[in-house]
Amino acid sequence: MAELKVLFQDIDVPGIQTLEVYEQHGGYSALRKALGMTRQQVIDEVKASGLRGRGGAGFPAWIKWNGIPKDESKPHYVQCNADEGEPGTFKDRELMMRHPHQLIEGIIIAGYATLSKVGYIYIRGEYTEPARVMRRAIDEAYRAGYLGKNILGSGVDFDLYIHMGAGSYECGEESAMMSSIMGERGQPRLKFPHAPLPTIAGLWDCPTLINNVETLSCVPAIIRNGGAWYASMGTEKSTGTKIFSVSGHVNKPGNYEVEMGTPLMELLELAGGVKGKLKAVIPGGSSVPILPAEKCDVNLDYESLQAAGTMLGSGGFMVLNDTVCIVKFMRRTAAFYAHESCGKCTPCREGTRWMVKIFDRILAGGGRMEDIDLLLDICDQIDGRSYCALGDAAAWPIRASIKHYRHEYEYYIQHGHSMVEAQQSTRA
Amino acid sequence: MAEQELVTIEINGIELQVPKGEMIIESAKRIGVDIPFFCYHPRLGKGQAANCRMCLVEAGTKQPDGSVRMMPKPQTSCTLPASQGLVVFTDTVAIQKARRGILEFLLINHPLDCPICDRGGECPLQNNTLFYGPGVSRFVEEKRHLPKAFPISDYVVLDRERCIHCARCTRFSQEISGDAQLDFLKRGADMMVSTFYDTEFTSRFSGNTIELCPVGALTSRVYRFRARPWDMKSQKSICTRCSNGCNIWLDYRPNRLVRVLGRENEAVNEEWTCDRGKFGHEYISSDRRLLSPLIRKDGKFVTASWVEAYQLIASRVRQAVQEHGAGSVGAIGGAHLSNEEAYVLQKLMRVAIGTNNIDHRLEPNQPRATDGLFGRFGVPFTQNAIADIEKAKTIFILGSELVDEQPIVFLRARKAWFRHGAKVVIAYPEVTETELRFDEPVVLRYREGTESTLVNGLLHLVLASGKAVTDGIAQGEVQALRETLREYTPEKVAEMTGVETERLREAADLLGEGTVILCGAKVRNHPRYAETVHALANLTILTGNADRENGGLNILLPEVNSHGAADMGVLPDVLPGYARVDDDAARQRIEGLWEEKLPAEPGMSTQAMLEAAARGQMQVLYIIGEDIAQKYHDTELAQRALESAGLVVVQDLFLTETAQYADVVLPAASVAEKEGTFTNTERRVQRFWKAFNSPSPDVKSDLSIFTELAVYLGKSIPVFSAEQVMDEIGQVFPAYAACRYDNMPAEGVRVQASAVPSPQLVPVQTEVPAV
Amino acid sequence: MSEAIRLSEYPRVRRIDEKQPPELRFSEQAVQELERIKRHYPNKRAAMLPALWIAQREYGGYLPPEALMEVAYRLGTSYAVVEGVATFYTMYNKRPVGRVMLEVCTNLTCSICGGYEILHYLEQKLGIKVGETTPDGQFTLTEVECLNDCGNAPVMQVGDRYFGNLTPEKIDALLEELKQGNEHTVVQLADTVVKCHLSESERQDIERALANAQATNEARQEGQNG
Ligand SMILES: Cc1cc2nc3c(=O)[nH]c(=O)nc-3n(C[C@H](O)[C@H](O)[C@H](O)COP(=O)(O)O)c2cc1C
Ligand code: SF4
Ligand code: FES
Repeated sequence: MAELKVLFQDIDVPGIQTLEVYEQHGGYSALRKALGMTRQQVIDEVKASGLRGRGGAGFPAWIKWNGIPKDESKPHYVQCNADEGEPGTFKDRELMMRHPHQLIEGIIIAGYATLSKVGYIYIRGEYTEPARVMRRAIDEAYRAGYLGKNILGSGVDFDLYIHMGAGSYECGEESAMMSSIMGERGQPRLKFPHAPLPTIAGLWDCPTLINNVETLSCVPAIIRNGGAWYASMGTEKSTGTKIFSVSGHVNKPGNYEVEMGTPLMELLELAGGVKGKLKAVIPGGSSVPILPAEKCDVNLDYESLQAAGTMLGSGGFMVLNDTVCIVKFMRRTAAFYAHESCGKCTPCREGTRWMVKIFDRILAGGGRMEDIDLLLDICDQIDGRSYCALGDAAAWPIRASIKHYRHEYEYYIQHGHSMVEAQQSTRA
Repeated sequence: MAEQELVTIEINGIELQVPKGEMIIESAKRIGVDIPFFCYHPRLGKGQAANCRMCLVEAGTKQPDGSVRMMPKPQTSCTLPASQGLVVFTDTVAIQKARRGILEFLLINHPLDCPICDRGGECPLQNNTLFYGPGVSRFVEEKRHLPKAFPISDYVVLDRERCIHCARCTRFSQEISGDAQLDFLKRGADMMVSTFYDTEFTSRFSGNTIELCPVGALTSRVYRFRARPWDMKSQKSICTRCSNGCNIWLDYRPNRLVRVLGRENEAVNEEWTCDRGKFGHEYISSDRRLLSPLIRKDGKFVTASWVEAYQLIASRVRQAVQEHGAGSVGAIGGAHLSNEEAYVLQKLMRVAIGTNNIDHRLEPNQPRATDGLFGRFGVPFTQNAIADIEKAKTIFILGSELVDEQPIVFLRARKAWFRHGAKVVIAYPEVTETELRFDEPVVLRYREGTESTLVNGLLHLVLASGKAVTDGIAQGEVQALRETLREYTPEKVAEMTGVETERLREAADLLGEGTVILCGAKVRNHPRYAETVHALANLTILTGNADRENGGLNILLPEVNSHGAADMGVLPDVLPGYARVDDDAARQRIEGLWEEKLPAEPGMSTQAMLEAAARGQMQVLYIIGEDIAQKYHDTELAQRALESAGLVVVQDLFLTETAQYADVVLPAASVAEKEGTFTNTERRVQRFWKAFNSPSPDVKSDLSIFTELAVYLGKSIPVFSAEQVMDEIGQVFPAYAACRYDNMPAEGVRVQASAVPSPQLVPVQTEVPAV
Repeated sequence: MSEAIRLSEYPRVRRIDEKQPPELRFSEQAVQELERIKRHYPNKRAAMLPALWIAQREYGGYLPPEALMEVAYRLGTSYAVVEGVATFYTMYNKRPVGRVMLEVCTNLTCSICGGYEILHYLEQKLGIKVGETTPDGQFTLTEVECLNDCGNAPVMQVGDRYFGNLTPEKIDALLEELKQGNEHTVVQLADTVVKCHLSESERQDIERALANAQATNEARQEGQNG
């Protein structure tokens, strides 16, 4: 029962946000090392590490890196996803606020390995505090010659720009983010097999590497210590460590970095234990299916969580105690997705809003028993048919909540009020 | 074109070969499998489509061992490219369910106002719901409420409640017309289509969005509630509102036009039309049409019979010829006539009256017909086909507000830039709408009237750059040109034209092989037209575009049949096929065919005729379908001429201002009431057909009027049909032989150039024109 | 035909002449900033989001139609496209807002940790409903989706700062503090966003350019006066 700090190793060092202190703690040595390696060697190291994307989908990082064409007939770009919008997740915020140079170093290495000369870090508009920290750190890195022309005399050029969002969860989706960087409405773009992968035709139809803040922040340690070292942590298929943003009904909410495969209950204890009686956990951000307390005996890695019927997602670990009314909670979830649906495709645009209307009617006491199956059916109609994964993400949690807590729905519809709240008032 | 790679795919168990990358929704059509859709449109960018999700199919790929690995989610067939071994199912239970689901979603917010919706009867949403939809809706909540039908322009009505967010209209406005005046506002279920703050939708192509809309969200303000699709008939026609020759459908109820729709012709308008075309044919069914001949008696028009009218005209013509010679009779007009009519008109004037006084041009500039391009490239005005503009590497638009003058040519030019990355140079004295439709084109803002200096300045730079293509041109010629252009330095030209030297250099850099030059009104109408055209011809030759598909010089003509009228010899100095009247051999060939003696003296141009008339020297002025009192560039002269001419005969659809001066008014049939061919700006001859009868039996087609008049003039020009006239045209002007009705292809025939004289440079005047 | 007649009764919609450049109100500084930000991308249009942020600052915390027109003009796109982008993102205000915008998160974690209570407390305290502005134009209260600082739930954003672990007491103190200030938090947030786009050397460049411009201006004025 302990944290295993890789990304957070130096996070408590005072002044680690400054270049000086970062360098004292080995900062930018990974970049120097990488510049001495061939690009392919860097990619191979990432491959050996088994690092998987921390943005939600868990896609092996090296495959993207390796998929970028190895010639320069077109400009290449690195796009760092710092749009952190998944409800329940706040790890990227902390990584930027408290360890900006680690991320910058990771981005530059990624740029070197993928022949990119330009990187964009897409920070959500609300994140002005992290953005200011990043700004200061980037300026420092330019001054020290880690960014700009001829980095450390290596002949490699790399410019890093901050591009800020303006309020849209959907822009965290990688192709919608591309639209947003290109100055358009934040709507997603066609995906493989309907269009080439972003690694071939991303930003402005040029090869583009897209990775999450946490993913890129792992890179310096991997290069410094070797991929094998990283792969020695975690499980076979889920290597390394993962930051979980623990929030909700726990005594010490916050970000905790643990080894992949750590038992869920251990993480709960790390976070000071549950306030009250554990009802359920949402382990990977609002988009993943809810995990009732009875099923919480599970390890935190991609495969185990999947087997348990949920997902690791972005590591937004929300803890609910028994005071939470699932119907109301899910109404809030549904409202979130309806609000954030970009409107492009029919199922998500119409389906998410329809579900909110049904929830509202149920909460207002006008529910009908058939509404439960109707909700399930709407979930089916959205899931897998929407343009991007936001639609799926809107359907999964609701479907899971009905699966596990159908009785709460039925109670609400029959009585016109919440079962949980009724129990609480009788208890009180 | 390179051989297209074929791949083998399987749709619903049927194996077929299709071009690699073809969208499955298209491949399915090949075997008669219908996949419902809303947002898909083959001409709209694929990148942003696939949002309606109606066209979902299940797909997988054949594995080496013969098994099929299915993709976990259904895929949109409108964006799914065919690849080797792709296996597709379009009608599984899951897909049927998905379609029902999508339709249910689309209908939850769609008002149930089909009975009062203009789209009713031809509505994809209605149709798809009928075939694939759910029986009942489970939606019990309140529907979305938004402003109902309100006009966003004189033509277009927007009903936001009906919109299904397919984005066809917005994609059209951003990708095709390029004005981007429609976009979605907000997001999610609040998303709605809009112009900027609901201001006027001023796009010149707005009508297309009405046709693209798969529901009744965008409807025509003009057509609104006029008819239902099932009680209309349609006839194929050609738009008469400019020289582009868009293919259209005339939709009509008995003897009344109700609307115009775009008709597909890949070579010309693809399927688009401009708003002038779509909404500008109202005149055909106007209540103000002339219904019988009119003769002025005691200063007032009285209804007359055709016999009276013909007799009056014939006697006055005969008298004029006898007393003043055939030169005292003249005809103006022809750019709105069909080829067949134009041909018969000039034959009437030349054979029955014996004069070459005939001209269709109304612009200030009326040079000799064989000047300009004809002598240089063997084509009269344009070298390039509209469709080939798409392939250009550079497009140089000179002196034209292209969006307005040549809307369909503009769409191709824009496509060349948008889809194929062509570079664009635009030269015009003021800000044009055209230049706003391209991202950062090179704009040359020259001072009005300095076109030829500008072109020579560019030529100077091309020669100086060393990239000039001089193969096959006598070195002496090039040298001479170089000499004479020596003083057209960028600095000097900048001073003369007002264009910065840097812009000149940027523009010259872009001129090279594959440059399409498009010239419009500013060049055509300029008194120094010939000079500019010579300079442009030199530029065309020296950039290697003398004889290219994707490069060349194009002087775009204004009216529906300007080109045809010129081809047919509705000009004072040439016979059909540009045979010069004063070239004995050429004339005699036609004399032989017609078995008639023809006047060998060139006649008067429009300007000359009007000047003569104003001096009281024209005994008879015959004006066909041109409101010169309003439209002639010098209206004052036109009016004086009409006042002073002996007898004024006006043949038109309306009592125009010009007709007010007439002694005899002859009511003519509209394009919907007759048949024939027009030759468009790219020299494409296209047929149009009769849709319905004229508003009165006393309205005659121009063709009938000309032949009947000939009889009264004592010369019969036997004409049985437009088809037969075309056969004769083919003999007189062999280039038209391919236009015989019985073997004319659906997309029309581009009239071939005459043998191209080897391109020759023309020395330019060294004197830089003063400004 | 009654519908047709009604249609014709609509007032003619306003027409905008695209060929006429709109009125431009960006300050010299804004122009300089935009010029530099444009260079971060291969085409002008990509500078749309930052340009709208600049406009939101320049036009006093929201984007009136004129601001959108100015952005469209400066980026060479159509007005409708800019409106489409501006209305897509929630942080661009389409209507005027109060000097202080209180954006309370009520998303999942916050909703179970007292976010709604905070929201209602604020409604009561300010005497307005969510989405409204106090009559004196000082405060606008809004509900927002996850601010992603759930570890400190309930959370609220004011300008470019987050305030977490909110309690009624904290709110009271904060409101007092905010009343004292005179900064327009929305403008200040936009300014921060814009500044974050600009590198140190770009910011220095701008300062120099502005100083130069001012110097020449002063010189010119002196010349005129003297
Ligand atoms: C609706 C939606 C929202 C997303 N939001 C985020 C986000 O806020 N941050 C993020 O890193 N990835 C987000 N993603 C995942 C990204 O699309 C993408 O998978 C990720 O940036 C890839 O980086 P990785 O491979 O390093 O994980 C989102 C995906 C979807 C479908
Ligand atoms: S699922 Fe559809 S509407 Fe929803 S965000 Fe994705 S594309 Fe937009
Ligand atoms: S037609 Fe394919 S998604 Fe609309």
